Amino acid sequence: MKRDLHQFQGPNHGTSIAGSSTSSPAVFGKDKMMMVKEEEDDELLGVLGYKVRSSEMAEVALKLEQLETMMGNAQEDGLAHLATDTVHYNPAELYSWLDNMLTELNPPAATTGSNALNPEINNNNNNSFFTGGDLKAIPGNAVCRRSNQFAFAVDSSSNKRLKPSSSPDSMVTSPSPAGVIGTTVTTVTESTRPLILVDSQDNGVRLVHALMACAEAVQSSNLTLAEALVKQIGFLAVSQAGAMRKVATYFAEALARRIYRLSPPQTQIDHSLSDTLQMHFYETCPYLKFAHFTANQAILEAFEGKKRVHVIDFSMNQGLQWPALMQALALREGGPPSFRLTGIGPPAADNSDHLHEVGCKLAQLAEAIHVEFEYRGFVANSLADLDASMLELRPSETEAVAVNSVFELHKLLGRTGGIEKVFGVVKQIKPVIFTVVEQESNHNGPVFLDRFTESLHYYSTLFDSLEGAPSSQDKVMSEVYLGKQICNLVACEGPDRVERHETLSQWSNRFGSSGFAPAHLGSNAFKQASTLLALFNGGEGYRVEKNNGCLMLSWHTRPLITTSAWKLSAVH
Amino acid sequence: MTMAGGNEVNLNECKRIVPLNTWVLISNFKLAYTLLRRPDGSFNRHLAEFLDRKVPSNSFPLDGVFSFDHLDSTTNLLTRIYLPAPLDPSRHGTVDLTEPLSTTEIVPVLIFFHGGSFTHSSANSAIYDTFCRRLVTICGVVVVSVDYRRSPEHRYPCAYDDGWNALKWVKSRIWLRSGKDSSVYVYLAGDSSGGNIAHNVAVRATNEGVKVLGNILLHPMFGGVERTQSEKRLDGKYFVTVQDRDWYWRAYLPEGEDRDHPACNPFGPRGQSLEGVNFPKSLVVVAGLDLVQDWQLAYVDGLKKTGHDVNLLYLKQATIGFYFLPNNDHFHCLMDELKKFVHSIEECSQSKSSPILLSL
Repeated sequence: MKRDLHQFQGPNHGTSIAGSSTSSPAVFGKDKMMMVKEEEDDELLGVLGYKVRSSEMAEVALKLEQLETMMGNAQEDGLAHLATDTVHYNPAELYSWLDNMLTELNPPAATTGSNALNPEINNNNNNSFFTGGDLKAIPGNAVCRRSNQFAFAVDSSSNKRLKPSSSPDSMVTSPSPAGVIGTTVTTVTESTRPLILVDSQDNGVRLVHALMACAEAVQSSNLTLAEALVKQIGFLAVSQAGAMRKVATYFAEALARRIYRLSPPQTQIDHSLSDTLQMHFYETCPYLKFAHFTANQAILEAFEGKKRVHVIDFSMNQGLQWPALMQALALREGGPPSFRLTGIGPPAADNSDHLHEVGCKLAQLAEAIHVEFEYRGFVANSLADLDASMLELRPSETEAVAVNSVFELHKLLGRTGGIEKVFGVVKQIKPVIFTVVEQESNHNGPVFLDRFTESLHYYSTLFDSLEGAPSSQDKVMSEVYLGKQICNLVACEGPDRVERHETLSQWSNRFGSSGFAPAHLGSNAFKQASTLLALFNGGEGYRVEKNNGCLMLSWHTRPLITTSAWKLSAVH
Repeated sequence: MTMAGGNEVNLNECKRIVPLNTWVLISNFKLAYTLLRRPDGSFNRHLAEFLDRKVPSNSFPLDGVFSFDHLDSTTNLLTRIYLPAPLDPSRHGTVDLTEPLSTTEIVPVLIFFHGGSFTHSSANSAIYDTFCRRLVTICGVVVVSVDYRRSPEHRYPCAYDDGWNALKWVKSRIWLRSGKDSSVYVYLAGDSSGGNIAHNVAVRATNEGVKVLGNILLHPMFGGVERTQSEKRLDGKYFVTVQDRDWYWRAYLPEGEDRDHPACNPFGPRGQSLEGVNFPKSLVVVAGLDLVQDWQLAYVDGLKKTGHDVNLLYLKQATIGFYFLPNNDHFHCLMDELKKFVHSIEECSQSKSSPILLSL
């Protein structure tokens, strides 16, 4: 209909500004009507974050009117449940978002006795997540400290600006009375890396300059210069305080190892140490809990109505993720399903069967909460060593499977064919959901200096977020945990370099071209994640952001980890 | 809530007045906001954050603008800074924070307070991020958008305190200076609640001797206990209701206060007189279909009466939020006036109180 077309009365000023995925429109004169192709999304709304097809604009308007009328007629309560009970998905897609709400208010007439409610309405059982184990609500307010002045400071000498690195895909910002912490929801490509600057003292920038210069020297194999700079960094780092000092120290050590070709402590060696470190990291800051929480929520939703469920965990470690899920399953309406868990992990140095021990503890919990439980542990040096045949899969009619991977997939990227093999196995498993949590940063670019820059920003942010944590023992261990990642990233190459983090958009491409489709996380998961964060440091600084149906945990506006969920895309 | 029958007529008329996609945008906000406000005065913040469309900053220029976020670790205040892209492509992605914006030209810096009735939106909300970018390219300014604390979690005077901290921070940046005398040329700007914040920060600046060159108030949020003609006439007709205005004031003002509190009603019975003080010149933009207009016009009068320089841009057929999309004449008119307002620094004397009336 003609009414749907947009009449531009003047030249378009900046209509395709950041955030839009469409190209710049041509300028339209005063009297021209813009003929918009039926399939295209309205560009102006697109820039503002809403996807509405131009051809559907009138219909969307109609739905808005309908909702408004219904809201006007409904009692206060009738309206409120749209806000509290309904799970919202993808509010950017106005058509479907509005439709869902209309369906809530006006369920279709053809509902049989048992369940007239829209399947999206959740019972508020999900509060059960807060009743168990590690996720028990901490009474009172967590200790709240302002984050320290974070040093990435101005250089008053001639070397005022950091040079942009060779690749156009990354850049460096020279901060002044400001330090650098990256953040924000990343919906654009790598070339527009979001940035945060934080106030700091003056010495920080000299330090950053030295680090960057050193990395550059290493990249161009100017080892004499690199060596000199590494020593300088050592002195400068000592003069710093807080997060900056620690980050600089770890990066400096990693650079030194690279320069002197000292192989870093092998990643494979001591898993009990790794596990211990991870436990401390788990306690100190919300990242792991967020990962577990959001992944569990997606798994729980995918398991709805299933009588027998099976979780295959690629990242078993101490099994910290599972008590909460098991408790949620135990409290499920209609009773718990029978729960099978397959835990996969690397071999322990002392050859102890730690996976078995973990399984025993979980079995005890299962018994206490009356959930039928089965467990199997698998030791594998790499996930790529797995075959579907080892996993004792049962027919999908009888058992619903979820595959879970927290901070593991990126390790496969250093091995040719690694990730493809694992994806192949996952597809054979035919899971109802594949939950994945990864670091939100590109530390796997081909150019060393770019990786260095990205990771410097990333870990600076991460360390800064830890500054507010109360316990010093946990904090130190967390820093060591992260320090090992930094070391691997900077000092190693080839198959030894396992910390090959990539961003959501990179992973999305991979998943998309491997036969997976996204399974969106909804407002329920968002809300619970937000509530969880409030328990850490009063929630100061941490934010949950939504991005294309995935959830990101950010420190201020810089996303640090992303939880995404995937399912097999329709075959044929 | 207005009656169903009355609604139908109003919705149709409202739809005729604005382009369809604008209508969809603002109606969508209206719907979402209604879901979020609870009758007991509390606010569904989680759902609000979930529904809000946010965008990242970009250190590499897009369409001639780049941006980055700044966190002041002593005040925990987050701001997003928007700058025009450097002409030299080799400088893309870098910001030299030890150099002024220019040593010869004056580059106005707009401290922008986003709207949302003190409750909604953030500096990184897509609607405001986009608006700030347009300000940079169209009006030739640098924009510092302030992520102030919102109600009901943070009531008066938090937003004003954050605004004041932002002003102090901006004034002390070397890299925001310009002109031959190397100083920071600051304007305060905001829409809806942001306009209210701009006014209050300007008052404090005046009291404490901090120089602000001008205020830009885009359908600023003011009110009072009395019900004005425009409120009665336009209630529920163009996206906004008196009831929702009341809710937001209850959420922002200290508990137990009424709308004659000076934060809401600056020139009302409890207001502070600006007689004889050096208050910055103002550009006040009023949308002719905004039910708050009588309060905004009273504000303009209040400034005039105490001898202050105020330009009124009255856009007769404009609704609230007309500036979110550049698909109407009001938008372009606003940008033109804004540009003139911030670049008139070299002109010595503006004629006092020269109202600009535009019927569109």
